[in-house]
Amino acid sequence: MAIDYNKLTPVEAYERRRSIWAWIVIALVLVLLLYYFVGRSEYVIAYDDPEEHFKYGSIGSEGVTGLPTPILQALPVMYKDKLGGAGWAALGLNTEPGQPLPIGFSRRVVTGVERAWLNCSVCHMGTYTLPGDDELHYIAGGASNDLLLYDLITFFIEVGKDPGFTADRLIAAINSDEVPGHLNFLERLLYRTVVFRQVQAGLQALADDLTFVLRQEPFGPGRVDTFNSYKVLQFNFPMGPEFISDVALNGSSDYPSIWMQAPRAGMNLHWDGNNSSVRERNLSAALGAGVSPVSVDHDALARVRDWIDTLPAPKFPGDIDANLAAQGKPLYDEYCAACHGTGTDDSYDYNTTRHPYLGQVVDLQDIGTDPGRWSSYTQGFAAAQNSLYAGYPWQFKKFKKTSGYANHPLDGIWARSPYLHNGSVPTLRDLMNKTSDRPTEWYRGSRELDLNRVGYRSDEVGGGKFFYDTNVLGNHNTGHEGPEYGTDLPPADKDAIVEYMKTL
Amino acid sequence: MLDQSPSPDKSHIHEDNAALIFDPLKFRNLEAKNRIFRSNLSGMFDDYNGQGGNARINWETKFAKGGAGGIISSYTPVMNKGRILTRYAMMDHDDKIPFWRKIGEAAHEHDCRFFMQLSHSGRQQDLGGVENVFRTVASSTDKKDWFHGILCHAATKPEIKEIVDAFAQAARRAREAGLDGIELHGANGYLITQFLSSGINDRDDEYGGNWEARSRFVLEIIRAIRAEVGYDFHLQMKINAVDHNSWLYPWQPPGNTLDETLKIVRLLMDDGKGVDGFHVSAGSTFPHPMNPPGDLPMRDLVRWYDGMISQGVRAGMNYRIFKNPIGAFLFRRYWLWRRGKKVEGINEDYSAAIRKVVQQIDPTVTVMVTGGWQHADRIAGAIRSGAADAVSIGRPLIANNNLPEILKTSNGPAPGKECTYCNKCLINDLENPLGCYELSRFEGDSFEEKYDEMIKEVMSVYYPPTFT
Repeated sequence: MAIDYNKLTPVEAYERRRSIWAWIVIALVLVLLLYYFVGRSEYVIAYDDPEEHFKYGSIGSEGVTGLPTPILQALPVMYKDKLGGAGWAALGLNTEPGQPLPIGFSRRVVTGVERAWLNCSVCHMGTYTLPGDDELHYIAGGASNDLLLYDLITFFIEVGKDPGFTADRLIAAINSDEVPGHLNFLERLLYRTVVFRQVQAGLQALADDLTFVLRQEPFGPGRVDTFNSYKVLQFNFPMGPEFISDVALNGSSDYPSIWMQAPRAGMNLHWDGNNSSVRERNLSAALGAGVSPVSVDHDALARVRDWIDTLPAPKFPGDIDANLAAQGKPLYDEYCAACHGTGTDDSYDYNTTRHPYLGQVVDLQDIGTDPGRWSSYTQGFAAAQNSLYAGYPWQFKKFKKTSGYANHPLDGIWARSPYLHNGSVPTLRDLMNKTSDRPTEWYRGSRELDLNRVGYRSDEVGGGKFFYDTNVLGNHNTGHEGPEYGTDLPPADKDAIVEYMKTL
Repeated sequence: MLDQSPSPDKSHIHEDNAALIFDPLKFRNLEAKNRIFRSNLSGMFDDYNGQGGNARINWETKFAKGGAGGIISSYTPVMNKGRILTRYAMMDHDDKIPFWRKIGEAAHEHDCRFFMQLSHSGRQQDLGGVENVFRTVASSTDKKDWFHGILCHAATKPEIKEIVDAFAQAARRAREAGLDGIELHGANGYLITQFLSSGINDRDDEYGGNWEARSRFVLEIIRAIRAEVGYDFHLQMKINAVDHNSWLYPWQPPGNTLDETLKIVRLLMDDGKGVDGFHVSAGSTFPHPMNPPGDLPMRDLVRWYDGMISQGVRAGMNYRIFKNPIGAFLFRRYWLWRRGKKVEGINEDYSAAIRKVVQQIDPTVTVMVTGGWQHADRIAGAIRSGAADAVSIGRPLIANNNLPEILKTSNGPAPGKECTYCNKCLINDLENPLGCYELSRFEGDSFEEKYDEMIKEVMSVYYPPTFT
């Protein structure tokens, strides 16, 4: 038997046992502190200014769906073959100078890692340029006509499926000169072992969930298929062809503007008027941005709500022929105001007593516009939505299947092109015409305003890159026509109405 | 195990080596029967007030019986204020003379010479004792000792005079007690080193400055001793060849170099009126990685260093470092790195340089050297090459009191019985009776059996008891 020459005295042995306990206690305390401060606590990158908060403030989507900021910065560098040299701009995401990520991305530190994901402004930030001028104007709270959400989704799906998306390539991209930030040895280890796997698994899961997207017609810039992804991601609705018709599968609609929400309270909101509660509509839209009922940041959302309640509609940036507009007002009031409200000298009249059809749903066969969006919102889906936020006082209860599409105020209508719910008519002047006179094929995605016909340019030269074929499912430009809609008026009257609408 | 000296010298047979070692050594004023001297060590065997008793006589007798040519006592404080550890005998008053006379007689019974080492701790007062607890000790400087943080004050001129006088009186007492000679403890960081060393002495009066000014203090002591005891009483100087003062904290000044030491050596010979011999050591602290060279037993250090916590303002920090597993590991590695690979004969080259200078001036002045000596071939090699006239041995003699007898017939002790330079004796000395505490060297089949043997050997210093 070997002799232990380094035997401990009884006192030393006792002290050693005691110090082991002390170390265990210290370790436990450290683990608890780590759990609380890193694991559970979240640290938001916050902004005082309400508009900055709208653009970059977090509503709580990062922990659920978000990616670490360096990864979002590295992906465009890694996938130059898909996105070209412009990075996220190729997908319609606009980056202000000096910002780490485009508008619409917010950042939050969750479990010790700074992640970024979407907020309201990714879809609700409008842009325009004036003819002959490159300067880009932003309209916060507007409707994005740039965002290629379909392409963004398919991009993430492809990344998730790409065998070339490896931890090594990712880390090399992050540490390259083109991406700000640098991963030190510990961070690289963390990325290789934990972060990358989670990201890849998340993207692959997204790819699996959203394979149906590849069966859809591309949305085009500034449009979104609002509810089909929602059905899958929140409720795991099956999306095989035996469960959903092609019509319902293709219900892409324009993003709406969200200014002046306070006067809209009580109106039937969403294109099909499926909910009259602004609060429910906001929380539902937040789910669309990627929050979960648990992660949604109510305070942040409340700040946005307060801001958009009274956010004024933007003023038309061109010249208005005051005489022509004055001629157009009585015509507008006669043909349009009952459903859409009207302008006042200094603002807008949202009064639903004076304008009885404002905020009401019009039956599908009466309005005659594309049925895709209406089809995609089903009774079953509304019922499922009313189970969301269960357990909270704000559990949804007002979602409903309607019979058609709702009438909305036209404040700032000049900035909400293209027109009809599915953005199938490029300008207000075109909308005044019967379907047969409206453009059947045009180009979507331009930021340049046509200040005469009111709407983005849609010609082949300067109209944007997306070929908009109105014969494709979901793109029909029918509806909103007939004597009551003013499409039979003489052209001069139509011009006057359009000129008046520039003042709204 | 420690990396010890190179393999036995193949060009000499043991008989030749033994012949050199056992050739009597002629000092100016006396003769010793061989070249082996028991170096300066003792345990806390004595009375607190500095009187000696039975245990000390037993201790010294062990080595006299073992065949050493001479014994140099452990440090003997010349005044209570200059004690290093409690319960060591002193030479501070005439009332100590009868005890030391008995010691001398015990050594002489075995034809063993006995030198007394006269000492003053200066700021290296490891355990000042209850008499000194409200005082700070006199040093050359006001700066505390950087190892344990022992506080001190710069000696005033009257204090210096008092200390010089105390050395002279202690020398007188040693002669009166019939001892064979005295050694001045001018090495290893005690008071004389604190004046000699450029790393410690920061005075701006005549006792500080260049090497000559720094040597004034010890030269005064030597001259005062000579005035008291004359020139026919052996007086040697233990001296640091090199201070290596930066070993622990690299920002401390490095201290004296060999060149300075050679100048000091010449000065202390004082045209033939100074010292009769030198005892070469190294290191401006005690202990020091180079002295006594060996290992640092960290578990023992934690067990026995605690008495020093109240003595110095850095001792508490040291203790916590020793007690911490990582601190202990790092400190020991640092210690070993500072020591270097050589253990046996660590100061051989220093001694050679010093002896060369000494021989040129006066061949009657002897040079002995300390540092890990244990084997006949190494000792004989040092004598043969002229590095030293004799060697002083500490720990290997504790391990084998009869090492001189062993070396008559073999190169060294049997395997398993050698001194391992573990330094457990050194560390235990702080609180326990001095002896060999290296358990592996003792007979027995189990931990308990070996431990009992070890304790028996350690406690043998108390036999025979005072009263039977």
